[in-house]
Amino acid sequence: MSKLNGTDIQGFVLRGYNLPFARYVFLHFEDAARARALIGRLLEIITTGQRWDHGKPQRTVNIAFTHRGLAALELPLATLLSFPVEFQQGMKSRATILGDTGINSPECWDELWRENRVHAWVAINGQSIAAIEASTASLRSLIEETAGAVEVGWQDAAAIMDAGKATTREHFGFTDGFGNPDYLGVERSTQPGQGKLMPDGTWAPLATGELLLGYADEAGELPVAPIPHILATNGTFMVYRKLHQNVATFRAYLKEHSGQYGGGEEKLAAKFIGRWRDGTPLELSPEKPDPSIVQDPHRNVNFTYGSDPEGTRCPIGAHVRRVHPRDAFGFNGRLINRRRMTRRGLTYGRPVAQNEPASDREERGVIFMALNASLSRQFEFVQQQWIEYGNDAHQGNDKDMLMGNHGGQGKFVVQGDTTATNPPFICSHLPNFVELRGGDYFFLPSITALGMIAMGLVDPR
Amino acid sequence: MPNQNGSVFGLTILSPIIDDEKATPSHDLQIRKYLATLPTGPESPFAQAPGTHLARLVVMDDVVFVGYPAIEEHLQSKYLVFETNCDADLDEYLSGLAKAVPDHLDAIWSHCVGYPGVANSGAFIEYMKACQLETTLFFAAVNDKSVPVTLRALQTQRAVTDFIADHQGMEPARLQKEFLEFVGKLESEPVPKPGTMGPQRALKTGGRNE
Amino acid sequence: MSNINGKVYAMNAITPMKPWKTLVVKGFFLLLRLVKPLQKDLINLSFIEFARWVVIPRSRFPYVGQGQVKDEMKYDYLLFFSNFNGTWNQYIDAFADVLGSKLNLIWRWSEKFPGSNPVTGFKEYIARVQFDTDYYFTAYPQATANDLKSAHIVQASLDDLVQRARSCSPAEFSTAYLNFVIQVQGHLGETGEAPIVF
Repeated sequence: MSKLNGTDIQGFVLRGYNLPFARYVFLHFEDAARARALIGRLLEIITTGQRWDHGKPQRTVNIAFTHRGLAALELPLATLLSFPVEFQQGMKSRATILGDTGINSPECWDELWRENRVHAWVAINGQSIAAIEASTASLRSLIEETAGAVEVGWQDAAAIMDAGKATTREHFGFTDGFGNPDYLGVERSTQPGQGKLMPDGTWAPLATGELLLGYADEAGELPVAPIPHILATNGTFMVYRKLHQNVATFRAYLKEHSGQYGGGEEKLAAKFIGRWRDGTPLELSPEKPDPSIVQDPHRNVNFTYGSDPEGTRCPIGAHVRRVHPRDAFGFNGRLINRRRMTRRGLTYGRPVAQNEPASDREERGVIFMALNASLSRQFEFVQQQWIEYGNDAHQGNDKDMLMGNHGGQGKFVVQGDTTATNPPFICSHLPNFVELRGGDYFFLPSITALGMIAMGLVDPR
Repeated sequence: MPNQNGSVFGLTILSPIIDDEKATPSHDLQIRKYLATLPTGPESPFAQAPGTHLARLVVMDDVVFVGYPAIEEHLQSKYLVFETNCDADLDEYLSGLAKAVPDHLDAIWSHCVGYPGVANSGAFIEYMKACQLETTLFFAAVNDKSVPVTLRALQTQRAVTDFIADHQGMEPARLQKEFLEFVGKLESEPVPKPGTMGPQRALKTGGRNE
Repeated sequence: MSNINGKVYAMNAITPMKPWKTLVVKGFFLLLRLVKPLQKDLINLSFIEFARWVVIPRSRFPYVGQGQVKDEMKYDYLLFFSNFNGTWNQYIDAFADVLGSKLNLIWRWSEKFPGSNPVTGFKEYIARVQFDTDYYFTAYPQATANDLKSAHIVQASLDDLVQRARSCSPAEFSTAYLNFVIQVQGHLGETGEAPIVF
């Protein structure tokens, strides 16, 4: 396959920056010509996927557009109509498909997302708050200079710190960020367990077309993409979801139920996710966390469920098992290779230590961002069929314990065995530990495509 | 014997629909209209007659022209497709239908050529047999449990889940006592009717009935 | 009028075949029927409840006389009826991913079949040859094939436990009950509504 041109792909797509601070600025375009001028200026500072030979930059800038944003930029109608249907509709219109009902429904979202004003997402990632502020100032002065947009909102995010060092923990205390897929042609330190499972038990990278438009995907064809090709190639789609975390509810629920659970609080928490809070996979270390596994890149995502069909080590409905079933559905994992996606999330809000009291009303949670070539086949499918539903995992209507839209109902089964510290256990009357506060679908164009948009040169054919 | 898989039978019946230019609306449209308002839940004729796991009725207008270089051709009649997966062989199943829901059968099949009516069950069964197609391959996932057994199992599954969840950590003597009470109560519950969604739960999956 | 009832989807498809090709298809079906391990993949794709293939030879469309004009066709026709769980897209994606070569053996004899991979062409073909259901009934709208299998397992385990529960001591019962829970613990999924089709 052809080598990827890192200078044509936005850096956010090709690598997880692992910069501890971020600010997402949301823009609204009022005039197409001025907006295009702004994009032309922004192009000069957009971070590409080119390798960093001189170490990480102080800050990065990337940009993506909603469908109505592309319409506001006056792309030709034929092009706008050639985008996949789900992207045209936007995430708000897909709420019932995604299970975003009840407390997660759009009426309960933040004002920014309840309206239809977001046209663009400009992401600033940085090594320090000062870097973020400097970048924001540059952005705002460009906006003022070109009068190209109106800022309709922004969202700060930051990694949770531990003794001054950035961690990948989220607010419930779990270490996150494992298992982003490997793709052909994307340079990265690969770890066994990230790619797709081969019949001989090794892991191979996924087809490039599962992430990037314009390349062959796992089904042996080019993914559905907007026309012209040059607009789509090297671009991708992103889903952005602001997930509020009810830390107080989670802690109370865990405490209450661990009283009855023979394995104790930490183990019960681990059973919800499928990893101990430090990230040790339950499949590899069912009795206790094991830092030596977590720190070993050859082991921390390298496992399958074939030897645990009953779910006694990692429950059948645990989060990591739901979203990446590996070999659990049989057929050498072939049914899941087209359901993977790259996650780039970051926590937001003030972290609160385990022994500090927390309030559900305080703003904190995770900004969930996932990149995939096909929103409907990848993100929407996993959200609808594997998170808010359980049939493929043989769990009926049961939802994902942590992410599911439970509304006080539902249950989570921890499969166990006859040992006293690993009993079967059912958690019922599940509250919403996580609430959706807004978000949308975005298109992350290539550098070339951004240039065409900026110059108003997009032609359908 | 391809019409059977385990103890489940498969039936495929294609009945030619009357072609009468003077009928307004045409007979196929009349069938369609009737089927559009026929209940699909526990009030369905297939819930009231015994032994139907799954059944479908389709008005097949024509064969499909897949495009050049295939030859375009057309059927002279429209056909009513009746495809069902059921617990009993043809004779027993159709007699069951004829006895339980004769009016529905007449309302639908009276639009088909040569339909003798359900009153004479022998003639009715002969008529349906004449239109039966031989299945070439029949696949069934769960193939040896009847409809009532399956409905009871679904009811049991739900009840058992609730029992387990409500009795965690209970001391053995009390657990045993309550278990036996639970079993007694479950056994005396009536088997749920076919076609029901089960007891209403507030569990939201974003399904179309919400 | 819907193809969907609760968690089950009814698909109907009809494809034309040149008469000599029908013999090949029938041969393959015979093989599938007799050699059970070949059906293994179908069984393990556990979202299919029932599936049926029917060949209608070109002059054997049902004919009852009494004014009906007899149908004499040039092609034989292969009818396909499926009852499956999940969405149309999910179903065909899974078929193409897992059963591709076997599907080819069944449908390559149908005119203009493009092959089951790549899947976009396959989906276009199915959309062309699919015709819609007017009336669909299922005795278990709230259950998928997986749910049904689980329900039977729970029932069987419960029946076993009941037999013992009546006559054993509380301590013995406690052990038996734990074993019962372990037996059914993977089969307790809730039944109910299906997610919205998209």
